[in-house]
Amino acid sequence: MMMKASVRKIVKFERFAQKVSNTSFGIVFASIEGFGTAAEMAKETIRDIFKGFISAKDTVTQMVEVGWSSLPIILLTSFFMGMVLALQVGSATSNMFNEPVYVGTITSFAMAIELGPVLTAIVVTGRVGAAITAEIGTMEVTEQLDALYTLGTNPIRYLAVPRFLACFFMLPALTVISNIVGIYGGMILSTNTWELSSSAFWAEALDFMTICTFLHGFIKSFFFALIIVIVACHKGFNAKGGAEGVGKATTSSVMTSMVFILIADYFLTALRVTLRIK
Amino acid sequence: MIKVDNVYKRFGVKTVLNGVSLDVRSGETLVIIGSSGVGKSILLKNIIGLVKPDSGFIKVDGVDITNCSLRELHETRRKIGYVFQESALFDSLNIFENVAFGLKNLTSLSESEIKQRAKQCLAMVGLENVEHLNPSGLSGGMKKRVGLARAIAYQPEYILYDEPTTGLDPIMSDVINDLIINLKKYLHVTSIVVTHDMNSAYKIADRIMMLYGGNIIFNGTPEEVCNTKNEYVKQFVRGSSQ
Repeated sequence: MMMKASVRKIVKFERFAQKVSNTSFGIVFASIEGFGTAAEMAKETIRDIFKGFISAKDTVTQMVEVGWSSLPIILLTSFFMGMVLALQVGSATSNMFNEPVYVGTITSFAMAIELGPVLTAIVVTGRVGAAITAEIGTMEVTEQLDALYTLGTNPIRYLAVPRFLACFFMLPALTVISNIVGIYGGMILSTNTWELSSSAFWAEALDFMTICTFLHGFIKSFFFALIIVIVACHKGFNAKGGAEGVGKATTSSVMTSMVFILIADYFLTALRVTLRIK
Repeated sequence: MIKVDNVYKRFGVKTVLNGVSLDVRSGETLVIIGSSGVGKSILLKNIIGLVKPDSGFIKVDGVDITNCSLRELHETRRKIGYVFQESALFDSLNIFENVAFGLKNLTSLSESEIKQRAKQCLAMVGLENVEHLNPSGLSGGMKKRVGLARAIAYQPEYILYDEPTTGLDPIMSDVINDLIINLKKYLHVTSIVVTHDMNSAYKIADRIMMLYGGNIIFNGTPEEVCNTKNEYVKQFVRGSSQ
């Protein structure tokens, strides 16, 4: 009798919770809950890394997947981004000053502190983040994660740790490559379109840049890597509802990562400006 | 011995297990029957600790898996093999790696012993020369048998089968039935089998239980099932719509 009464109370509470979950409050609560579970997963992943539960083979495989396989698209997008920047800057300054000025400076600054890290992170989100969520989500809905548990394996250790390490180390590496290729693309355009010599372009580029300029973008890429891999793994582990659920989780993973990358970018830049780091 | 005591499990407002209690004695094969969606698979997942009951307890060899440390849960899971309804083979690994997965994680066998054991287990379920294939290259029935080979590979004391013969042809179903019987006969494996297949249930069961409305409504030997007066059990085993 006691049990039935308590079950009735729970059912009543759950119906109330269901009603609340359909309101804006519910969406806020769900978001806070999502943050909590993602933080818990990230904590467990980092703890496993520090305890040394790292499979070298799986980590290298993921590094190849994140780094090497993303390289062609990063080279292509960065090269064209650098060229577009140089074209726009040259065109704008030609209109204002009758000649293209600061093309090297603005192109290299923009690539090193903003476009290199952000563009690389966005491309990796679309390519790698989506793949991580889809793979883990499919494993979740086909009971493969349950199978891992029954075979004595912690899915976080087996799946999240190698992907976490791969993203954390490969995204900054891709960012450096993106910066170099983007600036190089800008230089090629400047020499051909604006008839700027390559030495003049490099002089403009390097005169105003310090090591901190490069470091700012480089350091940001570590934060972006954390966002991509934590969101992707969390969305994958929480996918529900068959193929449709995996599709929704993947879309949500990409959108969430992109939004958080841009928000994090603002705050990291604001921090740099506040601290007056040049 | 597995003891399930007064287990409740609800999903939202739906009560799936409503105070289920059962004992599984060492070396016996218990078959759980019941209509689709009645909670048979959820009961198995509670027993292996994949799903936590809302209340009640489940003891495996004296360890309460609803309230134990992670290490104890891990140790207990080593004793239990689980055959999934949809096989749950790892897509990224080939058949050999799937079968060897548990052996690598749960035993201290050498590489050559693992290779030999995996081949043996695949042969036991009637599969040979498929080690190098990927799960996507197998039929549903073959995947099911690989899942079974994976579950028996590390020689667990208990095996939980979730619909082991569903989707198999009659001959292969009988091969799996014989395998379950032989595991019990020669290795004294304790089994819980969830199935709709009454031919299989009659052949392998020491005891048959029926789950209905979140409760066990029948518990008896295969002979007792045939002679039961319970109308619902009679309807179920006859496969009659009325």
